[in-house]
Amino acid sequence: MTVTPEPFPARPTPGIAASTTDLSKVYGSGDTRVVALERVSISFREAELTAIMGPSGCGKSTLMHCAAGLDSVSSGSVRIGTTELGSLDDRQLTELRRDRVGFIFQAFNLLPTLTALENITLPLSIAGRRPDRQWLERVVSMVGLSERLDHRPGQLSGGQQQRVAVARALVTRPAIVFGDEPTGNLDSRAGAEVLGFLRDSVRELGQTVVMVTHDPVAAGFADRVVFLSDGRPVDEMVQPTPDRVLDRMKRFDTRPRTS
Amino acid sequence: MLRTALRNVLAHKARLLMTVLAVTLGVAFVTGTLVFADSSTAAHRAAVSKNYADIAVSVAPKGPPPGAAGSSGPAPGEHATVLDDALARTLAGLPGVAAVRPSADGPATLNASDGSPLRTGRIWAHRAAAYVPGPDGTDGRHPLTEGRAPRTGDEIAVDSGTAADGGFRIGDRITLAVDGPTMTKRLVGIVTTEDTRVTAGGTLTLFDRTTAQQLFASPGRYTSIDVSAVPGTDEAELARRVAAVLPADRAEATTGTALATQQTVLVDTITRGKEKLSLVFAGVALFIGSFLIVNTFTMLVARRTREIALLRAIGATRRQVVRSLLWEAVLVGLAASALGFLLGLGIASVLPELLGTAQEELPRGPLVIGPLPAAAALAVGVGVTVLAAWLPSRKAARIAPVEAMRTAELPPTATASRVRGAAGALLLALGVGLLLSLAGAKDASEENLQSAMFGCALLVVAVIVLAPLLAVPVIGLSGLLTGRLGIAGRLARRNALRDPRRTAATASALMVSTALVAGLAVIGHSTGRALDRQAAAGLSADYVISTHTSTTGIDPAAVQRVADAPGVRTATAVSDSTLFIGGGVRHISGVDPAATASVMKLDFVSGSLKDLGPGRIAVSRTLARENGVSTGGSVNARIGGPGQDLTPYTVVGVYEDNPTAQDALGLRGEVQRSGFDPGSVQRVLVRADGGATKDRLRTATGNNPLLKVQDRDELVHEAAGSLSTLLTLTYGLLALGGVIAVLGIMNTLAVSVSDRTREIGVLRAIGMDRAGIRRMIRLESLTVAAFGTLLGLATGLFGAWTVGALTNGALKDYSMALPWGTLLLLCLVSLTTGTVAAALPARRAAGLSPLEAVAEL
Repeated sequence: MTVTPEPFPARPTPGIAASTTDLSKVYGSGDTRVVALERVSISFREAELTAIMGPSGCGKSTLMHCAAGLDSVSSGSVRIGTTELGSLDDRQLTELRRDRVGFIFQAFNLLPTLTALENITLPLSIAGRRPDRQWLERVVSMVGLSERLDHRPGQLSGGQQQRVAVARALVTRPAIVFGDEPTGNLDSRAGAEVLGFLRDSVRELGQTVVMVTHDPVAAGFADRVVFLSDGRPVDEMVQPTPDRVLDRMKRFDTRPRTS
Repeated sequence: MLRTALRNVLAHKARLLMTVLAVTLGVAFVTGTLVFADSSTAAHRAAVSKNYADIAVSVAPKGPPPGAAGSSGPAPGEHATVLDDALARTLAGLPGVAAVRPSADGPATLNASDGSPLRTGRIWAHRAAAYVPGPDGTDGRHPLTEGRAPRTGDEIAVDSGTAADGGFRIGDRITLAVDGPTMTKRLVGIVTTEDTRVTAGGTLTLFDRTTAQQLFASPGRYTSIDVSAVPGTDEAELARRVAAVLPADRAEATTGTALATQQTVLVDTITRGKEKLSLVFAGVALFIGSFLIVNTFTMLVARRTREIALLRAIGATRRQVVRSLLWEAVLVGLAASALGFLLGLGIASVLPELLGTAQEELPRGPLVIGPLPAAAALAVGVGVTVLAAWLPSRKAARIAPVEAMRTAELPPTATASRVRGAAGALLLALGVGLLLSLAGAKDASEENLQSAMFGCALLVVAVIVLAPLLAVPVIGLSGLLTGRLGIAGRLARRNALRDPRRTAATASALMVSTALVAGLAVIGHSTGRALDRQAAAGLSADYVISTHTSTTGIDPAAVQRVADAPGVRTATAVSDSTLFIGGGVRHISGVDPAATASVMKLDFVSGSLKDLGPGRIAVSRTLARENGVSTGGSVNARIGGPGQDLTPYTVVGVYEDNPTAQDALGLRGEVQRSGFDPGSVQRVLVRADGGATKDRLRTATGNNPLLKVQDRDELVHEAAGSLSTLLTLTYGLLALGGVIAVLGIMNTLAVSVSDRTREIGVLRAIGMDRAGIRRMIRLESLTVAAFGTLLGLATGLFGAWTVGALTNGALKDYSMALPWGTLLLLCLVSLTTGTVAAALPARRAAGLSPLEAVAEL
């Protein structure tokens, strides 16, 4: 089954924030050769919250790492906006991540020595840029952290830490934000809060967000869910609900695995 | 538990490598020093016993010392002895005697071919002897390698080392002096010698028998007769037989063994001095190395908290945990001892080259590896490591089983910090108090010095204890600088402060070595300047002619020639002697009052030299104070000479302390009469008016190798020369401290980098480039290094300031002066240390992939 019409999506208005073409990722060689992704072509539309789902080991994290320029690809191409990642060297890739990509990790990954505010503005500090005051305030108030900006990560709860991470991802107005199980370490209430912020950022700020998750509830916040299995996209669901996602996921569990 | 320990050591070998290296350095210095000492002692013994191999008994004259004869100076040939050919024949007839070898020995100093005195550093080892041919026509003790034996009074032979050093060839005319005027002789032969005094940097001159007898004994007489024994004869028994035929009270017999022992002791003292220096290095290396060990084991314990808690949870006792860690320390110590021992052997084999100079060659021989160095290496290596690991192991034992479940590391409790603060403050107060209490001390007595050392040690320990608390404000301050370097700088500062105790312990190595070096450098520099000032102070003469040894004087004829030399305005002779006064021994200069004004800058507090005369002296302000006398008063004293009686001297004036004038001034004639060497002149102070040059003055003295002609600069230089050992020590410690500090900082940073792998991954993921990561690690390293250097500088300077007060008592013109060059060098070393230490960890950190941010734990 096809997932996204190639080379461009049918809807013309929201453009393509990022896309992969025939993306393959192979680990090892010979007997230990493992194909993590096999000729994946997928596009992420602007101002949309996309969830990538699939059973463990389906390659969803690898897809995200490759699409975000964190990991190298074996073949195929990855584009963010109009930039072809394969043509970039390490320094250019670093700058691309700094200026045009935002990250939210599962394990919060804040720097313990910096305050919440310093963590939020860290990508700007690295770039040597001053934060845009208005934008910063908007992002901070959206995630509801105005009162806790001077706190160190150690003094914040898990949910608050992840909200800092969300703000950090948004502060550079990146072309796309990638989330790797952003609610994986949170209880359901805090998780819902963070997902709410991510959805708000799409609705209110026009942000493009792609997240990997295994939680049907989290996927229910998305505009679109892409299902991956054995390194290939196998299905897609628009305007998902947790129940429908759960049903679809159950079919993976019952179906015998092929490799 | 041993197996666990071994597994752990192997698992953390990279981490323990630095520790091993640090301990290795210390062990290497200890081993090197001990092996070097053993080897050179053995080489000495071998050389000495070879030299004395054929001497069973030596006969030497006995009697009143030559100076007491009351004559006018030790003119050559006046040392009457009873050792003559007749006695030699008598001895040869004794049962058990194989052969007798009479000799006439004494001192002789040579001028090198360029006219400068040869090997002046070891003037006491300038030997001269008679070439005494045996039955076969050659002298067995002095085998000729070139030329022939001296036959007339105009000929000499020298040993090969002296010939090489002096640039002598057969046929050269050589200027030399025995103890008076200059002589010129022709070199006819070159010999080898086993005399260790000569091979250790002296010279040997051989005269023909008659000349030697004239110079060192009297015609037909000898200074000693060596007796060799028939195999199987008991040395002591032979000595008794020889003594029986000697005229009582005029000669004595000593066994060859006793002589060899005497000489060994003499030469050993030289080696011993060198030994101390390198043991200091060993001590310092081990001391600052122990911080590295403590830190490494602390970090290992911190990393393994979960593992240890798990062990405790499944039933390991505290004692088992401690023992496991101590076993690890033992293994590390063993490895370090073995490595250090090997490295030490290397050091021992190059030490003679490093410590010996052209002036004093150290005896050579094969390396002697006794059980002591091996035992010391083992004891020091394992001992220090286990001792240093003991504290962290106690900490490990306190880990509660529940911590296996805990994720975050707990910060040190407030109580611990308070206890630390209180203990540190107490130590600091004690150290500072002790040092400040010494500020009032006027002399550098043994007691005061010990207090000062103790005070300094307390100070250093206090700063080490307080360092974690000081880290926050000091690094915060330095952060003002690094903070300007963007986010990498800010992160570097925060990271350095993340675990102040780790940072402080890391910086401690650099702190201790910096404190030592800064303190030594300041004291050395200040002392040097004081000596400079002193050497030239009180001297208005342009040149000073003096003797190399205290037992020889300047020929009165030479004084006259100097006075007559072109360009000399005034040349006044000074006669030096000892002044026994108020239970102490001081120095008195015998001067000519009329000429003194033009060569000495005397600043009279009261009185003047006008009334100087027999029974009248002028004294320095210090001497006046010590004896409670003032101008017009009277003080009981004795100038030179033997005897007990003090006679009253009238004080005609008190002058400000003046090193040229020494402690007291007397009439030259009076001082000369009662001096150690009656009638002699020890110094000639020369005021020149342009035309005089050093060369002309040397010529005027007859190029006498026994005399020094120095201008003011050289005097100053000579005074500062004694500080060269201190300088070597300072720079050696600087280098050593730098190396160990590099190891320590590298170690800590490596741990930090691997602790923060995920964090660094995040930084890479959100856009920090590799250069930024490298800069961050480097700046953290520099921050730690700068912290250690700052603390060290502060401690060292404070210590030097207070200890300097003691020197002030001993050294009149002492005032603290900062050696800017050395201090700048210290800062550079700190900078280099930081950069070098960061190189590897920074590379590793920069090589981390951004994917580390999402890696599974």
